[in-house]
This record gives sequence, structure tokens and C-alpha cells, in this order.
Amino acid sequence: MVKMVTTYGLPTKVVYCKKCVISNQRPNSTVEFKSTGKIKKTTIGFGKDGVCDACRFADYKVTKIDWEKREKELIALCNKYRRNDGYYDCIIPGSGGKDSGFTAHILKNKYGMNPLTVTWAPHLYTEIGWNNQMSWIQVGGFDNILFTPNGIVHRLLTKLAFENLLHPFQPFIIGQRLIAPKLALLYNIPLIFYGENQAEYGNRFEENDIPTMNEEFFAHRITLNNLYLGGISAKTLVREKKIAITDLNPYLPIPYSEIKKHHIKVHYLGYYLKWDPQENYYYSVENTGFVANNQRTEGSYSKYSSIDDKIDPFHYYTTLIKFGIGRATYDASQEIRNGKITREEGVALVRRYDQEFPAKYFKEFLEYIDINENTFWKHIDSGRSSHLWKKRAGKWRLSHRVS
Amino acid sequence: MKKGGTKIVIVDYGVGNLFSLANAVGLFTRDLVISEDANTINNAEAIILPGVGAFKAGMEGLKIRNLIGTIKAFAKTNRPILGICLGAQLMLTKGYEFGEIEGLDIIAGKVIPFPKFKNADKVPHIGWNKIFPFNKGRWNDTIMRSTGVNMHVYFVHSYIIETKNKDNILALTKYGDMNFASVIKKGNIYGCQFHPEKSGPDGLTIIDEFIKFVKING
Amino acid sequence: MKNNQSIKKSSKKNIRIIPRLDIKGPNVVKGINLEGLRVVGDPVELAYKYYNDGADEILYLDIVASLYQRNFDFDLLKSVSKKIFVPTTVGGGIRSLNDITNALRAGADKIAINTYAVHHPEFIAEAVHKFGSQCIALSVEAKKTNDGHWETYTDGGREKTDIDSIEWIKKSISLGVGEIIITSIDQDGAKRGFNLELTNKVIAISPVPVIVCGGAGSLDSVKKMVETCHPEAISAASVFHYRDYSISDLKRYLKQNGYNVRL
Repeated sequence: MVKMVTTYGLPTKVVYCKKCVISNQRPNSTVEFKSTGKIKKTTIGFGKDGVCDACRFADYKVTKIDWEKREKELIALCNKYRRNDGYYDCIIPGSGGKDSGFTAHILKNKYGMNPLTVTWAPHLYTEIGWNNQMSWIQVGGFDNILFTPNGIVHRLLTKLAFENLLHPFQPFIIGQRLIAPKLALLYNIPLIFYGENQAEYGNRFEENDIPTMNEEFFAHRITLNNLYLGGISAKTLVREKKIAITDLNPYLPIPYSEIKKHHIKVHYLGYYLKWDPQENYYYSVENTGFVANNQRTEGSYSKYSSIDDKIDPFHYYTTLIKFGIGRATYDASQEIRNGKITREEGVALVRRYDQEFPAKYFKEFLEYIDINENTFWKHIDSGRSSHLWKKRAGKWRLSHRVS
Repeated sequence: MKKGGTKIVIVDYGVGNLFSLANAVGLFTRDLVISEDANTINNAEAIILPGVGAFKAGMEGLKIRNLIGTIKAFAKTNRPILGICLGAQLMLTKGYEFGEIEGLDIIAGKVIPFPKFKNADKVPHIGWNKIFPFNKGRWNDTIMRSTGVNMHVYFVHSYIIETKNKDNILALTKYGDMNFASVIKKGNIYGCQFHPEKSGPDGLTIIDEFIKFVKING
Repeated sequence: MKNNQSIKKSSKKNIRIIPRLDIKGPNVVKGINLEGLRVVGDPVELAYKYYNDGADEILYLDIVASLYQRNFDFDLLKSVSKKIFVPTTVGGGIRSLNDITNALRAGADKIAINTYAVHHPEFIAEAVHKFGSQCIALSVEAKKTNDGHWETYTDGGREKTDIDSIEWIKKSISLGVGEIIITSIDQDGAKRGFNLELTNKVIAISPVPVIVCGGAGSLDSVKKMVETCHPEAISAASVFHYRDYSISDLKRYLKQNGYNVRL
């Protein structure tokens, strides 16, 4: 095990990208069911010029990619899988947000596919989230399967994930990544379309050149012995938390052998079409009845990004605690890279909103994971790395801020 | 007196849409300055009093710049003056916005609020409305000579000018259930209740005529 | 309180058509429901185009100044105003009497205030006292709440205030505001028609002129709002920026249907 000076083994010196407002503390995507919380996190790469990998990719996206060629590849892919016998030819996971609104609608209407949309339910639906889910189906016009996991198990895993990993959103992330491949197997629809590759936001640059998702995010060769959920091994969960192994079904990755046998493939639409979240917003409003939130989300300025789960703000808040970067940083960085706002504007927004506490659903969150406020703050404070947070006059403050 | 060219001074007294006005006047002459200096105003061939603001604030603006006497004296020399909106209103004897205030008393009369209308026209009067001559032929030999009858110009005001003497009324405009003075004149002194600098090409015609008038007069 | 019947009979005033330019940095942008910053054009070009096409006024709003907590760009306003000879109402991050003076020196003829006034209503009275009622317009961005009221938003439509829009408008009028610009957040940018309920409510309680904004769609949808609500002025953005029709198209259409406009 690596000896870590900082929590999660993050870079000791905080550096901000010269183009966007993300810092070098930003963690890359993890294979969640291997996470024990004691693993050193890989973080976003920075070039010698001080520019982060995500910005490098954004530049590459605009200057180097032949989008006409990529679209031709999409058309070929669609031609290969398209079914005209009335059965579904692809699965599109989503929630009726702006991105899945765009993905489903354009694949159906422009590229002639017959999608089955699939939703892994939010922990706790917001009103706007539910309305957008319904609009997706009723205005956008898609068949949809909504999978809601066993509430008792889901809450327990969320609680454990919060307590052990300060990562309450883990059960959602795991479930959401698995639902499409699982239903693909179940219904024999091997092609799955996601929106954008997370590599756009700073995972390994090379990952962007591949149209498909790395299978290790939803498949496994591991046994139940080294499978972890909520930071606890599956064996311990069954033994000590009185969860039946069958209750863990929605969170268990799929055997590689099954993936291979049925040729399950996850493709990123963002590989084939130039991904622009803001344009997805306009598209979804015009085509699938998407409605932005009436007010900005706590911790950010955005009204259209990720507005369907009351727990979601706590995902970003714990990200702020663990890595010193909050929701506004993520939203602003994306908009800077896509040319919607300038870095200066992003800095102003991050300074204004990044550290805002998500008070609106706090009570519900505490109830959901069944802890009291004191315990909540105990866990939060234990997740603050000393290289990021200092306590002054009884208050925790970030040692760095973007400029 | 300068050879060729005219010297137009736009009086800066602290309230006014100076940019818009200078921009419009600048289309017709380059010999133009914006100034709050008494000397500069004294030596001008013509002055323009711009007009966005409240009567009281306007008079106070003139007062603290010691311009009340200067402008009154200028008026007595019968050199051309163009007052616009508030600038026109300030030339009257008294104003009644936020109390009774002394005006410049260059043209006899007062500035009063619109009366209560029986119809639903709202106050402030904001928008495009028609101007027509007080009586036939009155526009001849004035800066209104190229203006078409019932031309649309832009108004934005809550108060109206009521001259003591009907001879000082050059143009009328109908609003609510009444006609009010939209252009006033006394000798070479003009006042427009509307904004010629913001009334499109038609409004610019009036400014053009004023500049021409100044040139001839000089 | 005059009822709509008598207003209908006597309304011979020209209805003003006012294109709205949402300014962000050097660009004109346009969102939907006050979200999204898609660039739709250049401020100088668009303002000039609309002036030439018969705009009665230009509404020029920096929609991010309050959100980004930065100052209004007076230089850009100057560039835009140089070739415009119809009135410009200017707003966005106006926070002081100085800002108003500077705006008037940069091309503004009327001032619109929103965010700052919501937090400091006394600013309205101060501004009115110095610049006159007719120079100060209140811009209100309103969204319908679940219980059928209208709630006021600030900071480019992102901050909830819990302030009832109708009550706020009444208050601002008592403080001397000379004009109301009412934008329906629900309808903004969607081209599905104006919010008739909100529009009627505001016009009913306002003794000062009202500019209605948010939702202009087909020519017919505009006519429908005019015949139902009788506003003094109509502001639109998306339909003009995306060239669904021109200002002169709209004016001619209204004229053909019996409404007075300046042609």
C-alpha cells in the first residue's frame, strides 16, 4: 500500500489549470466496486504548459477531429445494428435530462434507430427531475424502463458509502453504470449508447480516441471476495449487515464471459458527434420537453445540469470536501472548454458559488442515510485533507482559491 | 465669430443623455463640444440643453455649475438655443416636479404634470407620437420647415410645458384627451418636448435644420 | 381601475416594438427560460439592423453583470449607440447613481434596474429623484409558483427571492418608477406565446407603461397577446435573432389587424 501524505494520495501542491478552473486535485473516474477508500486516487493530468488534459482534449476536439468522418462511422454503426422488425436495436440509459434527451432523440429521429431508454432511478427524485423524466417519454416519445432499486438496500449502501468513503453517490454511480448492460443482456439488445466519454472531463487523454467504454466499469473477472460496495467487501456486507447476496444484484458487475458471449458494447455518442452540453440543453428544450430548473443549483450557477436527485448536491459537496473543488468548478470548467464563458467569468462564478452548502435538501439527506447532523459533520471533517483545509478561528477554510 | 463652421456647445449640467445627443448633432457639424464651462458657453454661437432628468435636479445641476446666469444672459443675446425635453422645460418660468422650482424664465410659462385623463393613456408618456403645427404656416421659416405634418417623434416625459403666450407654441401633440405643446419657440430659441436625436431620420431632420439655422444666423 | 373594455376603445397609441439584446461580454446571446448563453450575434450589427428595420426602441441588457458581479461595459454600449437614433433602454448590473450617469453618457436614454433594486428598493427613489420617473424602468423577471403566484428572480434569472412580483411592481411604482418591463421566465425563449395571465395582471395594476417580454412566437401569438392585454410595448428577442420574421413584418401584421404602430 502506498503511504499517503495527503488524503487519497492527492498531489500535495494545488495547481489550477491555466485555461479552465479545475485544479490538479480532480480525481479521475474510478472502478467503484474495487474502492476501499484506501487506494491512491489518480488525478487529472496537467501538461508542462499548465493546461489540463480536459482542456487539451477540448482543443483537440475543435481543431483535430474530423467530425464528418466520425459521423460517417456513426452512420455505419447504426446501419449495422438497426432493426426494422419492430424490436429495439439499442439501449440508451438516461434520466430525461438534457444529455439523454439529446442522445435519444437524435439517434431515433436523425439516425433512424429504435431505442429502448433505460433509467436507473435517482435516490430521491426532485419534482423537476420527475417532470423531465416524464417529458422525455411523453414529449420526446420513447419507450422507457425505470429501474428503482430496493430502497432499504440502496439507503444502507448510501449510508455506508458516505460513512466509509465520504461518497454518498457511489450506489447511484454503480447502479447507473450497470443498468444498461444488464438490461442489454436481459433483453438481448447488445448496443448501448452513452452520451459523452468521461475522458472529456480529464480522464486519460487516450481514452477519448476510443468510441467504446472500458468494460472494467461494468464487467468483472473478480470474485465476490474482492468486491467492495460502500467501502465494505461484499462478504462483510452479507455477513455483518444482514444483506442477502441476492439483494446486491443490481450492484454486481456482469461477468466478462457474458459480455463477450452476447457482444455487449457501450458506445459514446460524444465520440461520433461533437458534444456540447449547452447545445444539448437547447435541443432538449425544443424536442423532448426538457425544462431547466427555476433557480440555480446550490453550489453552482447552472440551472440545467444534473437537477433530478436531491442527493446529488451532496455528491458535489463531498467532492468539495475531499478535493477542494465544488460544483461550480465542474460546471464552469465545462462551459469554459466549450467556449460559453471565459476563464475570468468562470473564476468569478467559482468564487461566488463553489463552497455554498446545499441546505435545501439537507434534512432529507440526513433522514435518508439515517444519521444526525453531528455525525454528518464528524464524517465531513474527517475527510478534509490538511493540504487543502485549514481551521482558522473555529472555521474550516480552503487554503487555496482559483485565480 | 469663427470663420466658416459653427460652434455648438452642448451644456453638461449633470443630467442628460449626452452621448446620444452629441452623436446625433455630430452628424451635421464637427464644430461641437460638450461643456459645463461658463466661458465656453458664453462664446458659443449656439447652445443645446439636453434633456434627461428631473426638473429640480436639472436646476440644481445648473446652479452648482454657476450656469443659470450664463444661460439667461446667452438667451438675451438672441443667439440660437435648442432645449430638448428637460432642457426645453427648464427654459420656462417655473416647474412643479417635486415642489415649486424656479426655472430659467427664458420663455414665460410653467411646467406641470399631465392632467388626469378620462381615457387609459398612461403617464409617463413614453413612445412615438405625432406632431402638428399649432396653426397653418407656423412652421415656415423655423427649424420645423422640413418636418412633415403628423410626423412621429419620440416622447418620454411626465410633465408638459404650458406657455403663457400661445405665440410661443410651434407644434402640438395629442395625448390622453388633450393637446400639449411639443415644440415651443421664442425668437431664436427653440424647445422640443420630444427627443429629435432619438426620433430616427425624421428627428435628425430637425437637428439638421437647427444646425443650418445656426450657420445662417452666424 | 379602468376595465379592459374601455382600454380597448381608446387605445390608439402606437404600440412600441422593442428588440431585446441580451449582452454577455462582446456578444448578443439568447437563452431559454433564462438559461443558456448561445451566441446569436454581434451587438453593433444587430442593434443597427433592428434600428434600420423600424425598431421603436432598443432594449440592451447585460444579463451576466449581476451574476458575475462585474461592471457594465460602457465602451461596448458606446460602440453600439453610435449609429442608433432611436431610444436605448440600458440595464444589467446598474448599482449606483454613477452607473446611471455613466450609462447616459455612453448612449443610454432610459435605464432598467433589477437585481440591485430588489435588494435596495430605496435606490429606485434616489434614481427617480435625480433622473426623473421617465428615465427609470423596473425590469422584473417572473416565474409562476406552485400556488399560482409570481415570484421575482434576480442575477440573470438564477436567484430565487421569495418576493411576489405583483407586489414588488406595485411597490416600485409607489417609489416612482416610470415604466415596467415584465419578462415571463416560463415563456422566455420558447416561442410559444406570451404569458397572458401574467401580462394581464401586471397591466391591470400598473398606471405606468408596460413593456411585455418573454415568449413571442408566431405573428399570431403576438397579435393574440395584444388583443387580450393591450400592452404599451412588446419586446422580443428569439424571433428576431433567429430571423423568424422581421420587425417590419410584425409591425405590418399588427397594422393589418387594426393596431396602431409607427410605420
